[in-house]
Amino acid sequence: MNWFDSTVHRAMIEAATVGALGGVVGVLVVARRLPFFTMALTHATFPGIVIAALLGVDLYLGGGLFGLLVVLAVVALSRGRGQDFTAATGIALSGGFALGVVLVSAQDGFSKDLTAYTVGDILAVSTGDLAATGVVAVGVVLVLILLGKELLLAAFDPTGASALGLPTAVLDFVLLALIEVTVVAVVPALGAVLAVALLVGPAATARLLSDRLAMLFPLAAAIGVGCGVAGVWVSTLWNVAAGASIALLVGLAFGLAFLGSAARTRAGRAAARRLATATGS
Amino acid sequence: MTGPTENGAAVAGAAVGAAAGAAVGAADGPAAGTAAGTVADVAGPPGRTAALVLDRASVAYGDVPVLEELHGTVYEGEAVALIGPNGAGKSTLIKALLGLVPVVRGRIEVLGTSPDRARRDVAYVPQADTLDPDFPISVEQVVMMGRYRKIGWLRRPSAADREHAAAALEQVGLAERARHRFGTLSGGQRQRVLLARAIAAQPRLLLLDEPFNGVDAVSQHTILEAMDALKGRGTSVVVSTHDLAIAHLACDEVCLLNRHQFGFGPTDATLTPERLRATYGGHALELRGDRVIVTQT
Ligand SMILES: Nc1ncnc2c1ncn2[C@@H]1O[C@H](COP(=O)(O)OP(=O)(O)O)[C@@H](O)[C@H]1O
Ligand SMILES: [Mg+2]
Repeated sequence: MNWFDSTVHRAMIEAATVGALGGVVGVLVVARRLPFFTMALTHATFPGIVIAALLGVDLYLGGGLFGLLVVLAVVALSRGRGQDFTAATGIALSGGFALGVVLVSAQDGFSKDLTAYTVGDILAVSTGDLAATGVVAVGVVLVLILLGKELLLAAFDPTGASALGLPTAVLDFVLLALIEVTVVAVVPALGAVLAVALLVGPAATARLLSDRLAMLFPLAAAIGVGCGVAGVWVSTLWNVAAGASIALLVGLAFGLAFLGSAARTRAGRAAARRLATATGS
Repeated sequence: MTGPTENGAAVAGAAVGAAAGAAVGAADGPAAGTAAGTVADVAGPPGRTAALVLDRASVAYGDVPVLEELHGTVYEGEAVALIGPNGAGKSTLIKALLGLVPVVRGRIEVLGTSPDRARRDVAYVPQADTLDPDFPISVEQVVMMGRYRKIGWLRRPSAADREHAAAALEQVGLAERARHRFGTLSGGQRQRVLLARAIAAQPRLLLLDEPFNGVDAVSQHTILEAMDALKGRGTSVVVSTHDLAIAHLACDEVCLLNRHQFGFGPTDATLTPERLRATYGGHALELRGDRVIVTQT
């Protein structure tokens, strides 16, 4: 029997891939303060997936195309004078999710699948899904390697980037598109509501542990992989929902890192105080 | 002769009587036309190349004109101070010199060509406090950004790029902070890192947007020294500031701005009380002994 014939094995590979992908892309999401936008994307991709399911076409394709429309709409809306990126994002979030729910509920006998779309079904992942996620992961990492320094400059200092003659609008679009394809890869596994956990949690956790950009990518990827694989394992062990287990573990990792960094800060201050007392200053 | 900055007010060390006597005509109000007061219209010594030519240039965001009828010339190796109150359009002029805000009338020439085309030889130093202090980026990574244009797309920094970046950081006295996170440095140090980034780009024209705002004395001194070193190598400098003392100390020319040009020319001759009063609006200026104090900046 092929190793990939096991549902649990496939789920673990999928969880590891989306964990690594979410962790890496999440570093950019967190650095650019885009978690809210990412959450909007996960929700707005939802109707695309539902439409694709209704039409019987590929879920990734449906979700991806629809999400791309949302990215373009948000960029266009927020570039308009006096328009707020957050407002445009909020509209995309609620509007997209509502459209998905309406579409699902309009179908007879379809409503039981709503759970699969909202919280995902990683144990139902096929070998084809695995391949698709793998391709997305390789593509995203390749783009990050090739355009890394330009994306970094556009993120840190947009005016400085334009001053160098870099096409900042194009770079912004590339970044949002990277987030979008990652969302499309993660949503079938974790669902529209939980996907944001993998796209924000591991990177935010890594950020608590390190200041160095070069460290953040491997650290966030490792945390994503760890939570993903452990989540699937926990779910088979206790027979609980896999997507929710992954999201819970991500939350747990963040909580521990937060307590750890808070304790370190306090220890640092105490050490400084002891030093001050010892030197009599 | 320059006095210290008191309570954020800008202090000019120019002797009022002497400066007023040397004034080229009365304060140039916008209605009076700016060309008449443009001391720089008098051609410089032969052989000097113009780094910057403003030829009755107007600059606008969309339909809203921000700056009108700018006129003057800055030569290679010279520094010009952009002086004017908040909202005067100093940042806008700097962005126009970068080709980021369009010239709607007249002409702006940078390094003998259009601002767009000159960009490869122009370095821009933003105000440090406009950048996210939480961004996970190290000091050396910020400085390396100055080399991006020379490195080009899809390529990684070479050993030579690293050397240039390290030397630039050394020049602003922050070599030992290379591996610290940018946001952990003080405001003045962050400003110096951004200056190092510009130095690493080896520009022929350096644009500094209010680099002295809220920086410590050491940083101010370091920035002034670096400006001098660059000028010595033929780099021209445009620096916006509220500090008239710094304009006197470090700049050959000043451009008085408040939506219009209120004077453009050699520092001492142009920074007259009349022109400053016109630029800042009469009530904002106090004269105390031989000092001009701009109370509202
Ligand atoms: N992106 C923009 N779009 C429209 N108007 C702008 C923009 N940026 C600045 N302005 C306007 O241009 C004027 C000059 O601003 P600015 O150049 O920032 O002045 P300063 O740098 O001298 O304080 C201000 O009235 C400001 O409201
Ligand atoms: Mg400004």
